[in-house]
Amino acid sequence: MTETSEMTSTSQAGAAENGPPQPSGGGPGPGGPGTGRASPFGARGWLRWAWRQLTSMRTALILLFLLAVASVPGSLLPQQGINPAAVQQYYTSHPALAPWLGRLSLFNVFAAPWFAAIYLLLFLSLAGCVVPRTVRLARSARALPPAAPRQLARLPASARWQTDRDPAAALDAAAAVLRQRKFRLRTGDGWLSAEKGYRRELGNLLFHLALLALLGAVALGGLFGYKANRLLVSGTSFANTVTALDTFRPGRLVSASDLQPFSLTLNRFSASYVTSGGERGQPSAFNAYVSYSAQPGAPARRDVLRVNHPLNVDGARVYLIGHGYAPVFKVTDGTGKVVFNQPVPFISTGSSGLTSQGVIKVPDAHPDQLGFAGVFLPTAVDVGGTLESAFPAPLDPRVSLVSYRGNLGVDSGPPQSVYQLNTAHLTQLPIAPRPLAVGQSIKLPDGAGTLTFTGYRQWISLAITYDPGQLPALIAGVAALAGLLLSFFVRRRRVFVRAYPGPDGTTRVDLGGLARSDPAGGFNEEFAGLAAALRATHAGTPVAAGPRLTTTSQGSETDAH
Amino acid sequence: MSRCRRPPWIRVRPGQAVATAVLVGTAAAVLAGCTGGAGASNVSASNGQSFVAGSPGTTLYRTGAGPRVPAVAGPVVGGGRLSLAAYRGHVVVLNFWGSWCTPCREEAPSLAALARRLTPAGVRFLGIDIRDSPASAQAFTSDFRISYPSLDDPGDTIALNFRDTVPPAGIPTTLVISRSGRIAARVIGPVTYSGLKSLIHRVAAQPE
Amino acid sequence: MPINQGLSHLSDHLLMVALLLYFLAVLAFAADFAFGRRGAGTDAVAEPAELVPAGVTAAAGLAGTGEAAGAGARPGAPGKPGILDRRAGPPAGPWVRAGLGLTGLGLALHIVGVCTRGLAVHRVPWGDMYEFVIAVSCVAVVFFVGLMIKYRPYYLGLFVMAPIVIIIGLAQTVIYTPAGPIAVALNSYWLAIHVTAITLASGTYVVGAALAVVFLFADRHGRRAAAGLPVRNGEVFRLLPSPERLDQLAYRTVVFAFPLWTFGIMAGAIWADQAWGRYWGWDPTETWAFITWVVYACFLHARVTAGWRGRRAAYIQLAGFGCLLFNLLGVSIFVTGLHSYAGLT
Repeated sequence: MTETSEMTSTSQAGAAENGPPQPSGGGPGPGGPGTGRASPFGARGWLRWAWRQLTSMRTALILLFLLAVASVPGSLLPQQGINPAAVQQYYTSHPALAPWLGRLSLFNVFAAPWFAAIYLLLFLSLAGCVVPRTVRLARSARALPPAAPRQLARLPASARWQTDRDPAAALDAAAAVLRQRKFRLRTGDGWLSAEKGYRRELGNLLFHLALLALLGAVALGGLFGYKANRLLVSGTSFANTVTALDTFRPGRLVSASDLQPFSLTLNRFSASYVTSGGERGQPSAFNAYVSYSAQPGAPARRDVLRVNHPLNVDGARVYLIGHGYAPVFKVTDGTGKVVFNQPVPFISTGSSGLTSQGVIKVPDAHPDQLGFAGVFLPTAVDVGGTLESAFPAPLDPRVSLVSYRGNLGVDSGPPQSVYQLNTAHLTQLPIAPRPLAVGQSIKLPDGAGTLTFTGYRQWISLAITYDPGQLPALIAGVAALAGLLLSFFVRRRRVFVRAYPGPDGTTRVDLGGLARSDPAGGFNEEFAGLAAALRATHAGTPVAAGPRLTTTSQGSETDAH
Repeated sequence: MSRCRRPPWIRVRPGQAVATAVLVGTAAAVLAGCTGGAGASNVSASNGQSFVAGSPGTTLYRTGAGPRVPAVAGPVVGGGRLSLAAYRGHVVVLNFWGSWCTPCREEAPSLAALARRLTPAGVRFLGIDIRDSPASAQAFTSDFRISYPSLDDPGDTIALNFRDTVPPAGIPTTLVISRSGRIAARVIGPVTYSGLKSLIHRVAAQPE
Repeated sequence: MPINQGLSHLSDHLLMVALLLYFLAVLAFAADFAFGRRGAGTDAVAEPAELVPAGVTAAAGLAGTGEAAGAGARPGAPGKPGILDRRAGPPAGPWVRAGLGLTGLGLALHIVGVCTRGLAVHRVPWGDMYEFVIAVSCVAVVFFVGLMIKYRPYYLGLFVMAPIVIIIGLAQTVIYTPAGPIAVALNSYWLAIHVTAITLASGTYVVGAALAVVFLFADRHGRRAAAGLPVRNGEVFRLLPSPERLDQLAYRTVVFAFPLWTFGIMAGAIWADQAWGRYWGWDPTETWAFITWVVYACFLHARVTAGWRGRRAAYIQLAGFGCLLFNLLGVSIFVTGLHSYAGLT
């Protein structure tokens, strides 16, 4: 980098001076802070050295590579934020290894402090390199190309011809052609310099700055955004408030009163499935017919929620994530009172035909609390003695439950999952499990009560997200792409023209050019076209003194950053 | 190289101050944003719970400085309609609960006992039942012998009305409302008999 | 709309025939190395680098001869025909012409096969793993044929087409899935945008990786020859482009593919936001796409630093390609995530 070379040159100058006495050998070797003049390294010197190391391209490359390597365990091991159940499973199947992995945050890699350290350092390095260069670019935005070298024939691309015009006129004509081709010009005594392709550096910097902006957008979302989930049974509604959400993950600066106050009702859900062929049973469409109002008291509007078609309410977005069945149960307790009468969401087990499992807790039954656990089969068929669901649509829905009575454990202690039954203090009732069709009941022994399977509904799971950093992230992404394309495909090139008065009144015109960076090639064609155009305006004739058009394509790859 | 040249480490590099400021700001923001999620009131459902329990705590508002309670009205569990405005002039205890919620069941006996004791003294109790069906709600109230009425709020409209004042941040949440209709205290999490009793006495003693 | 089984079968048959033609092309390229007679043309390749005067000839001619002086060949020096040049270069013998013709014909059938599959399923034909691999290999062959036309490195044919034959063969046998309706979550116009960009970029990366491998062998051969060590297959390497040229070509494939890959990731993020509510969730496929992007970004940066040309850059490029393979195939097979639409499980 240019600064380093300046540093060493001044340090050489300093060493040659009779400055204040310095310890011989200076600081920690070449490039270190102490090899300068005057007093040696101090804290500032060390900081400066550290900063220089951090912002060097080699460090940036190493950090970039480290970032990729650090992401690998995050993709291979189960992650807490994505699949906590799988993490639990890993702990049970690898009891010795898992705690150590957990201590190293390998189950939560992307939120781990060491991962954050890598990308923060990387962006620090990036910013420390890019921001000064941006300032420099802004300064040199109007800078003129350098003076034309004397020997244009030594440039990688050159041409020569003769013309009858006088030198000044020849140069003017050349300037007109170059200006038309959008070169930036600088004239001198008998020569002309032209440069084009400044946008390459602009593109390069735009790309890197856009990455910084992207990071800022992510931070914005992390501070002011939130994510929430809610499972909604058809025929019911909910409002976007903390008490109504199943999970709520707010950003740092989000409080409960920042949630958009919409309410949403699921009127009806319909799913259609492929009925024949190899893909039989695969869903082909989901439609959730909802009505919503953006504020309390606002008129209700209708919409159809589908996968890939979220609902946008007041900045928050509601996504349809999943669906399932919620069989409706009515439980009458031992005293004859109806103590439970509502749909219970059952969750898909992953087996075929949307077999779902669930749990019913009836804590206010008398004489004993009641609990039930079992499966719901949308299309129940008997396969070799076991009951399975053959198709995900409710063609023949059955429920098969195991019944319990005793203490559910919900009256005190830690909160329980609504999908799990804690059988520690429950006794299973000795009833032969019989799959219930709609309308059928189980009569529990010893006057414990009765359960009736009265029907079924469907439920959808919704994700509600608000991310104010989303649009800035998109803009940053587009800017990064634009910058990338500019920096790849714009060539920075220079063209020089010299006009010499020759013998017998003619003028000899020399043209030379080079491309400072030519990743996609093509400078030669451009140069040849330019030469032809200039020669045509001069109505010149070629000179036989060895015109040469070569290009060291190796050299053109070097981009002197 | 001019001898007058300043030593390298004194030379001012223009972009550097800007760069440092940008970076410090970004780093701080990113650190804050990325390690976020530990906000005041959230719990992820990683353990399979399907409700959000607030982080426990009692908040007291300065006398007369608490927000006005919004309009609360709706159907009553077991039939009828009721509005909070009917209790104007009394100290009101507003309790958000659900029959399926373990901490709510834990505090229910305390609330029932307090209600029985303090209602003759002029304190009014009102429950707001979240995400429950009528059958379960009635079974709950009769099981715990709760004598005060509860409003049925399956669509969370009542909870939504509190959004701009003191949002019930998870359940159970208990609000104590002064005689003039201002929210004087909020308890997130299960209340205890003695704790709620002293809160009520404190609010009742406020001059208004 | 129901799947058109007739078109689906037609597509399968066309792809089989295309695979056969590619295989025959590979054989023809190999046969040229084994049996092709080297005529006078091959040695008198390096035309002197001096040219017709600049003002007279057309730009295209200048550009062509302009490249002749690259890659270290001195004007007038005979010998190493490692120069990619429109007018100079080893002329194509009959075996090579046969190989090229078979490749072209196979490519035509390949494209028609992909299109008929798309028509059969009424959507863009890259909705599951099988279709995706077939599409990627099609892009790779198109890109390679484009390279052939522009730079005429005929003798690379064997080394690029052989892996493609293997890829298509594996696709047809191991991961073949019959034409079927698309998963609900993929039913969006973003499929055409995101997966198309990723397909184009992947096909180009495939060609780049093949070139990098050839470069490594050619470079090793060159070093051994320069050091006076015994070398084998010298005639083969003489016909190939010079290591520098191979390196440059490999670099250019990455320059073409990298913006496409960046765009593909961005389009994927936008689609993920539409479907799942967040634009980046560190899903395994997303993470590996990011890793692939980072490694290729390292490659591009490393090229800029002069000391990292050649072998080291080629290794980084191959590491990036390895990450790409894991991203596209390995994650679907070994890891479950939101992206598991391979149709394999």
